[in-house]
Amino acid sequence: MRVRTIGLATLATAALLLAAGCSLGDDDDDNGGEAAPTGTETTTTTTGGGATGNVLAAVQNRGTLNCGVNEAVPGFGFVSEGGEFEGFDIDFCKVVAAAVLGDPDAVEYKPLTAEQRFTALQSGEIDVLIRNTTFTASRDGSEGANFLTTTFYDGQGMMVREDSDYQELEDMEGATICVLSGTTTELNLESQFQARGVSYTPLAFEDNDPLQQAFQQERCDGWTSDKSQLAGIRSNWPDAQGGPDALRILEVTMSKEPLGPVVRDGDDEWGDAVNWAVIATLQAEEFDISSENIDEALESDDPEVQRFLGQPVEGEPFDAGLGLPADFAVQVIREVGNYEEIYERNVGADSALELERGINALWTDGGLHYPPPYR
Amino acid sequence: MSATTTAATRRPPPWRDVRVLRLAFQALFLVGVIALVLFLLDNLVFNLRRLGIETGFDFLDQPAGFAIPDSDFRSTQSVQDAILQGARTTLAVALVGIVLATVLGIVVGVARLSPNWLMRRAAALYVELFRNVPVLLIIVFLYLAVFLRLPPIGRAIEWVDVFVLSNRGLVVPSLRATGSTGPFLVVVALALAAAAAAWIWRTRRFDATGEPHHRVLWAFGVLLVVVALGFLATGRPYGLSLPERGDLGVANGFRMAPEYAALLFGLVLYTASHIAEIVRGSILAVSRGQAEAADALGLSSFQRLRLVVLPQAFRIMIPPLANQYLNLLKNSSLGIAISVYEVTKVTRVSIAQGAPAPQSIGILMLVYLVFSLAIALVTNLVNRRLALP
Repeated sequence: MRVRTIGLATLATAALLLAAGCSLGDDDDDNGGEAAPTGTETTTTTTGGGATGNVLAAVQNRGTLNCGVNEAVPGFGFVSEGGEFEGFDIDFCKVVAAAVLGDPDAVEYKPLTAEQRFTALQSGEIDVLIRNTTFTASRDGSEGANFLTTTFYDGQGMMVREDSDYQELEDMEGATICVLSGTTTELNLESQFQARGVSYTPLAFEDNDPLQQAFQQERCDGWTSDKSQLAGIRSNWPDAQGGPDALRILEVTMSKEPLGPVVRDGDDEWGDAVNWAVIATLQAEEFDISSENIDEALESDDPEVQRFLGQPVEGEPFDAGLGLPADFAVQVIREVGNYEEIYERNVGADSALELERGINALWTDGGLHYPPPYR
Repeated sequence: MSATTTAATRRPPPWRDVRVLRLAFQALFLVGVIALVLFLLDNLVFNLRRLGIETGFDFLDQPAGFAIPDSDFRSTQSVQDAILQGARTTLAVALVGIVLATVLGIVVGVARLSPNWLMRRAAALYVELFRNVPVLLIIVFLYLAVFLRLPPIGRAIEWVDVFVLSNRGLVVPSLRATGSTGPFLVVVALALAAAAAAWIWRTRRFDATGEPHHRVLWAFGVLLVVVALGFLATGRPYGLSLPERGDLGVANGFRMAPEYAALLFGLVLYTASHIAEIVRGSILAVSRGQAEAADALGLSSFQRLRLVVLPQAFRIMIPPLANQYLNLLKNSSLGIAISVYEVTKVTRVSIAQGAPAPQSIGILMLVYLVFSLAIALVTNLVNRRLALP
């Protein structure tokens, strides 16, 4: 009798599993933009209803934004001496949190290595990836990633020791070059040196820390990365090693590296929300609205500014249908600032990185940032 | 009456027949397991499709795009070739590591039982130190604090063309083919056969007459003489490639990269500390009467160890040794921490550069499984050969 009960239980389990297999599949079919196979929000937000922006709802329910970031690049994403995450990319996490949740500090930072980042995004561990990630075709196509507005136009550079003779890549025949593995720079390094017919030895590390050790000990002759990252590392170079003056970044730009936030494919509403939060910082700079003068701007008579800030024009506040509060731009500007403030605070001429605006200026100043109209 | 009872006992209805029930439950369990696996696979494929991630294995034929240092691998070769290259490095670390760890482990294990106080204590200190520290820590320490701290290439330590030591690696002379090598390789094969013949002859002679066989000496002597004569006769087909230091590296010679060295020695030091304990335990497990019998026969202490104790201890230590070998193989994946391009590192880089993660990790698991099973097979064969009938 007992044996039979167990047998029936086994049969029931098997049947249940089969049934679960079918029904779970059907559920997923309905939610085109469902989060992730392993994410916890999968179970909490299976409301059905087509592509209704599940991540946006999940973030709003949760009250915090899971933001995948870097923790080892000064100026962009690093942990300060006080234990706080700081940097250009971190500020854009805050921008998204301010727009979606109205609170720039409602962010759960998830430090990731270059090799982990897309897996973390695919698995739903993070809602948005803002970790100096280059927009490329294959990442867009086969990593299940959706790239949004570029926040920083970068290019790959080469850093060498000041006392070396290198002026250009052609001088580096036979050199050993350190690079982070799993990055576009690793691939560009290979193709750039191959195209120039220069032989070299790559040494690819998972983390910036052992890489820096190796470079300090002269294990490698060059360090290649995005120029902005190199500037950050150079600015933080320990005085015991000669400080920033011990290093030199070559003139050559080896690649185009448009960096920006990334979300999972298939959830357009969430993508739109993140995208317009970022665009709002650029639009604010174009309108000359900053965290300092936001209160004056709210009084402005300009209908374009009124619409942008979600103030009533002819009685009704403009709602673009992004799923964001009408005044999300006000929150972003007041709590974090416009693009210029974010740039100058973290990487600009007065910061340790001393990066000029260059191509990262607004289109009105001859740069590449060209925010689409908010209407 | 009694006859019908017997018949009923012999053939109960199928739903009460234990044999039928057993089979049925096993079949049901199998169906359940298969259903679970199918469900998980279907779930995986479905979710991969929905996320726009490749579900097949076509990515293996795509060009890898990244380069692998210290290898002939070019970035235009396929992901498959990259993984194979990584597997080769893993194998190189594991095989060399297993040999070195075994030798060091046996030496330390025997030293732990030495009557010499200093030697015994030194061995104990070594074992306790390395057995109780995580192997990752040992590897990272060796890399950052030892091998990277060697002088940079500009101030490399050189010793009359024999070696160049810097933090870009240890370079020693290597053999370089200068002519056609085919005939010489045939001579080497012949020399090996001759050495084996000498070995067998000396063993038979010893069995027949009892005069000392000296077969190791004989075999090596024959090997050396034949190879040396063959080398001269075939026109010296190999020359030495001596290391030449440049500004950025060392040309020629055979180079051991500091990353590889740190991983290898980290694994060897760690695994040897475990092997030493196995060796010590196995020697202690050999009955004391055996050693006393050897003494009674008038064997020297080395002969006692070599001829009586160790052969019996080996029989005890093979199964736990196999475990240590498997651990060493799997721990070699820690090379990712210090940029050794073994198979885990290559797979992770491939994933980061666009290869789909589930399939890539599956292949990685398969590689380790094959290596582990190969090690288990070899140790089982040795075990069976050594086992008492």
